[in-house]
Amino acid sequence: MKKILFSLLASAGLLLLITRGGWLLAGEGFLFNGSLPAVTVPVDNLQTDAKIKLGRQLYFDKRLSADNTVSCATCHVPETGWANHAATDTGIKGQVGGRNSGSIINAAYMKVQFWDGRAATLEEQAVGPIQNPIEMGETLENVVKKLNAIPGYKAQFQQIFGTDATADAIGKAIAAFERTVVSGPSAYDRYRQGDPEAMTPAAVRGMDIFNGKGHCTPCHSGPAFSDGGYHNLGVGFEKGKYKDEGRYAVTKSRKDMGAFKTPGLRNTAQTYPYLHDGSEKTLEAVIELYNRGGVPNPHLDPLMLPLNLTKTEKTDLVAFLNSLNGPVPEIKEPELPN
Amino acid sequence: MKKILSGYIPAAAGCLVLLATASMPAGAVPVFARKYGFSCTMCHSNYPRLNDFGTRYRRNGYRLPGRENDEKTILQSPPPVALRTSAGYNYYRAVNSAAPAVRQFQLNGLDLLSAGRISPDAGYMFVYTPVLTASRGVAAQDGVLEMASVVFNDLGSSWFNVRAGRFEPAYAALSPKRQLAVSPYEIYDFTFPGGLALSQTQSGVEVTGYGRNGTSYAAGWVNGSDTGNASQAAADVYARVEKVFGEGEGQTAGQRIGLMGYSGSAVPDVTLPAAASKTFRRAGIDASLNYRHLNLAMQYISGTDNKALWGKSSDVNFSGGLAEVSYLPATGLVCFARYDVVDTPRSVNMDISKWTLGGRYYPADNIALHPEYSYKKQKSSAGDITENFFTARLDYAF
Repeated sequence: MKKILFSLLASAGLLLLITRGGWLLAGEGFLFNGSLPAVTVPVDNLQTDAKIKLGRQLYFDKRLSADNTVSCATCHVPETGWANHAATDTGIKGQVGGRNSGSIINAAYMKVQFWDGRAATLEEQAVGPIQNPIEMGETLENVVKKLNAIPGYKAQFQQIFGTDATADAIGKAIAAFERTVVSGPSAYDRYRQGDPEAMTPAAVRGMDIFNGKGHCTPCHSGPAFSDGGYHNLGVGFEKGKYKDEGRYAVTKSRKDMGAFKTPGLRNTAQTYPYLHDGSEKTLEAVIELYNRGGVPNPHLDPLMLPLNLTKTEKTDLVAFLNSLNGPVPEIKEPELPN
Repeated sequence: MKKILSGYIPAAAGCLVLLATASMPAGAVPVFARKYGFSCTMCHSNYPRLNDFGTRYRRNGYRLPGRENDEKTILQSPPPVALRTSAGYNYYRAVNSAAPAVRQFQLNGLDLLSAGRISPDAGYMFVYTPVLTASRGVAAQDGVLEMASVVFNDLGSSWFNVRAGRFEPAYAALSPKRQLAVSPYEIYDFTFPGGLALSQTQSGVEVTGYGRNGTSYAAGWVNGSDTGNASQAAADVYARVEKVFGEGEGQTAGQRIGLMGYSGSAVPDVTLPAAASKTFRRAGIDASLNYRHLNLAMQYISGTDNKALWGKSSDVNFSGGLAEVSYLPATGLVCFARYDVVDTPRSVNMDISKWTLGGRYYPADNIALHPEYSYKKQKSSAGDITENFFTARLDYAF
């Protein structure tokens, strides 16, 4: 009887472990970072080689701007982490914008686009800067005319979309290209997959801080290290005023005042400077900002608190962020249609 | 059959825990952490003490502040169960006391926990301590439903939240359930014979509110002292207000001060009717001050008890408190020192003074190596009682 009972209990225990063993492992919670899954592609804009090639051409083509001086690649430079090392970017006629150019790397994984989330899709985002008077200063109507006047483009649009160039097709082609700019496995990914040597001891310690005392994961959650939400760190709040209202400008909701989208952190070491206004030049400086608990302001995110990190913990955190660097496609400027 | 169950169920449970432990990476942690994939240090500066983030999480009804809409219920999360235990070497020796000496390795207790969100609108916390019969290697533990509460948050605004059931009331500013030391906060336990210990959980309802400027309040209506007979109406009420200066919640950042008041009644003898209840009062002030990796926590409480509750000829006024310094010299290490004092009138003659020194080292997030020493001296009509307590234990949460 004793043996039977023990066997039953042991079997039940083993069954529980086998069937529900996942929950025993830390790091499997719903905010767990993990490795990047395959990119989700919208059903109305499936990836094709021809479309990606067209999108790549458009991405590098300065003729999409009013004075033929600025392309997407002017601010989102492949060689500088698909971002720009300037705090804020310079558009046509030397005009300087107010926000840092976010990296294109893994933009495909973002729930929304732009620092204030005003574009719901990559397709919508792709045509945004064209119409921004400071950035490319052009109208979509003019861009469509220009492209249809270029036989090489016109033929491609006809072949891919069955029409001449349209604003919708331009957005779709650029978005299709941007969906190829994703980072490959990082040291972090290799570590999670079982290679204990993939990350340095400092990076491993930094991972625990990231996921614990550093309070990073609640916002930098999921495989792309972004919750897709908006958070007020107080950056740009001075003398009782916000230099940039952030998400509030889109929603007009007071809770969104001074809040900006959480950027992803993969390859972040390459995409300096940081924050929506590019005000912090290094990862160390960003960590210091968080360590102080951000900048006090009436709408400071409740997740922002002083961290009391030690010097070693800060160094470890930087080591972890560096372990998120993965290879990205090496893409050069293509030959553009004439 | 009963014998078999009592023998093999714990054995099987132990096997499960061991198997689970063997498969865990160092950062493996209980209920909430498992739900999100966090480390313990997300909410605990030094488990079990909460940090500012953990404080906000708790008061927000076990929801991440600012991410309430993303929360998942217990049905969408890993099984919301956890276990806390502690085992190690204990040394205890008392002079002028009937308490038996201890010099052995012991299992010091076991808590079973469950917590999470029942629905998008309600969270809960459940803690049960099973009966542990004292034996060689096992310290006795009463079977108690320590907590079983539901919390409803943001009922109109953050200024109106309700916690109901059996819970840890807000009047104990320094949580006795999450203190670094084993040695109890004396002022929370000091009371008339059989009376209310502020360190205990209470059954009732508590309303709380929190502002963005660091101001918060709590008010409760609870059963109070266990000395009442079963039919005695709940009659105890309390209130607490606190203010945090600077960023943080005063746990690891910011400077917090608080005030509390408690008014209760109890019968001097459980055989007496409820009408024989006598009143007692508590008033306290507390502070938690932080400088870099240093925390100074202080609590002062003054009490006034009706003379009948002590069987004395005049009302009993006592006072006391504690001051605790904790310092985090490095990651995963905390040292602490505390002084407890209780001052009583000559008629009671139970003055207490106690020193406690200790530390906790965390080789993993959910495991603490915990040495501690305390020396307590308490006045008594039969001669001063002195107690020496030393422990070197391993605190573990899974």
